[in-house]
Amino acid sequence: MSRRIHPAVVPAQPFQLTARETFDGPIFETEEGRHRLKAALSRYPTKQAALLPMLGFVQSVKGWIEPADMVEVAEALDLTPAYVHSIATFYTMYNKHPVGRHFVQVCTNISCHLNRAEEVLHRFLAETGTREGEVSEDGEFTVIEAECLGACGFATVVQVNDRYLEDVTPERVPEIVAKLRGARDGATAGGPEAGGGA
Amino acid sequence: MAENGAKATVTLTIDGVEVTVPSGTRVIEAAEHVGVVVPRYCYHPGIPTRPAQCRMCLVEVEGRPKLEPSCTLQAADEMVVNTASDTARTARQSVIEFLLVNHPLDCPICDAAGQCMLQDYAYVTNQLESRVDEPKRIMGRDRISDDILYFADRCVICTRCVRFMRDVAEDDSLIVAQRGDKAYIDTFPGRELDNPFQGNIVDVCPVGALVHEDFVFKARAWDMDAAASVCPGCPTGCNVTIDTKENQIVRVKPRHNAAVNSWWMCDHGRRHLVMTNRGVRAEVPLIRDGEQLRPVDWATALDWVAEQMEALGSPGGSAVVSPDASNENLFYVHRLLERLGVAGAAFRVAQGDTAALPTVPTLKLRADRAANATGVELFGGCRVDGLADGSEGNGSAVSGSEGGALVVLDDALEGAGEDFGGAADFFLYLGTRLPGAARNADAVLPIATFAEMDGTFTNFEGRVQRFHQALRPPGLARPGWMVLSRVLARLGDGEAVNEVRGAFERMVAEAPAFAGLTWDGIGLKGAPAAGSAAAAAAAAGIHGPQKADA
Repeated sequence: MSRRIHPAVVPAQPFQLTARETFDGPIFETEEGRHRLKAALSRYPTKQAALLPMLGFVQSVKGWIEPADMVEVAEALDLTPAYVHSIATFYTMYNKHPVGRHFVQVCTNISCHLNRAEEVLHRFLAETGTREGEVSEDGEFTVIEAECLGACGFATVVQVNDRYLEDVTPERVPEIVAKLRGARDGATAGGPEAGGGA
Repeated sequence: MAENGAKATVTLTIDGVEVTVPSGTRVIEAAEHVGVVVPRYCYHPGIPTRPAQCRMCLVEVEGRPKLEPSCTLQAADEMVVNTASDTARTARQSVIEFLLVNHPLDCPICDAAGQCMLQDYAYVTNQLESRVDEPKRIMGRDRISDDILYFADRCVICTRCVRFMRDVAEDDSLIVAQRGDKAYIDTFPGRELDNPFQGNIVDVCPVGALVHEDFVFKARAWDMDAAASVCPGCPTGCNVTIDTKENQIVRVKPRHNAAVNSWWMCDHGRRHLVMTNRGVRAEVPLIRDGEQLRPVDWATALDWVAEQMEALGSPGGSAVVSPDASNENLFYVHRLLERLGVAGAAFRVAQGDTAALPTVPTLKLRADRAANATGVELFGGCRVDGLADGSEGNGSAVSGSEGGALVVLDDALEGAGEDFGGAADFFLYLGTRLPGAARNADAVLPIATFAEMDGTFTNFEGRVQRFHQALRPPGLARPGWMVLSRVLARLGDGEAVNEVRGAFERMVAEAPAFAGLTWDGIGLKGAPAAGSAAAAAAAAGIHGPQKADA
């Protein structure tokens, strides 16, 4: 858990903790949290500038950002909680509501749409037994529709946490969901045959 | 700037009128010099940041391909600005059209109706039909603080309130949440604003989005009367406008005065002023008739008091005055005390918390909870802690058991005993209210509060500021100077005055502390009294007396 990474490359490393439960308490009092904060602060002239990376870190740890986390980030960066709230709500890719362990975003823009993205989306919803944006009963899945994920050459694209699954067809969905359900290790949440670049 | 050979002033043409302004002036301000008010939302003269985000103040500048926001555009020599060209007007109309896409148009129930910049500009653009078919987005209302409500649907996201809190009050607790058409003003979830100056966000709101809860649905803009006044909450003397309806104060707003409060005032002042509506007032003159106080008309009361004064001569005695009394009232009491041979009046000042607005050094909520303690001191008043503290070496304290004359001007006499003033040869009580401790008075003369008359206060640094009548006094209550000038006139001392100007002029002529001031000269923004800290500052060129608002 305590991978010592050079501060200069910290934001480039996809980071997904194996066990989110270990972050039950204050995030910046854990060893990893302290390290991340220090690394981020070393990169910018002001503490305020580290706000986006720190919100991103919180989301990678917990999957979403709740008001208590905003207070924690604000205290760590000498900002007011209100200011952190304004930034966190401005950016739509910070989740302000809980999501499942596997946060599935199905691209439904033009290229994917032409490649049956709507069917993929509905298949994901059916397989996980959720409505869009809902957390499944076992806490494993949240499925949402996403705007262009920038991988139009490999439509339909599905993003699971930080990993891309490419060329997804509706027929592959049950298999993907089953594998994700079996993967207790959050770090490999993308599944064994996750293709392409993260 | 000077090293580049830049001049101290620049001359430009705005709407065909040439105007010379200090260099560095923004076009939106230069335009005001020629009487052109460029429509604006996000620009406010009291808020230093100018994001130019509302796009209302776009003007056409000759030789430039695009419209420029006049709130950030610096005036330059030979610039030719057109604020009302077809292009500028069309741009403005588009902004209004966008704002009205989601605006609920609830003017009939909106507290800002009649004083709303969206309403005003929408009328000017005169576009009666919307081109938008989509349903409006509905957001509802929120509570921003214990007494401020936020109607999100009316908001134009000019961020004046956010920037007042962040850049003027330096309290970064009000923010814009979300973005685009979902944007709204918010505090952190579960927290409310808690700043002693937060009420100003309601004043800077150009529309009806932010409203004081105690004003909601109380009065329409066109039903209110306004009077220029001075806040009596502390010795700072913030310039205010009192809005009244049916002889009640319904709202108080700060009035700009660069030397005192800039554009702002504190929340204590607002609440304090609205509180003056409350309480039971003294409404009728009372004179002693054996064991009883008998209500009489003014002529009888004044004749009788003058008669008693004549008979008393100069017995000495004691006096208590209120630090909320106007300079004119204090002057006449002072004259009366001189006749009676009373050395100096005692006064008490309630104390409270202090608060400062970080970016406006002259504006502070000061500890004294009274408007005119400085004025009382100029007339030789002596500050005491309690009425009966005389035994602790404070010679001017009043125990209420002395002989001679006892004069009380509007002090509520908290802490006075049953027999307060019982031993006095003559106990004259002039008050806005009638406290129990006035039961031993020989005469009670009902007087008007500061809101019910014209007059002046002297603020903490000796600045004499005018206030004007906002309310009718209840019953037979009359201004103190009007009453006392009549008592003195009956004793052959001066004339009865009916207008505050007469009282003020006599005070200036006879009280050296106020020498040189004139009623017109101090205008609506005040002027420093001779020998005061403010006068010394003016002489040193820090800030001079304001010109008269003729």
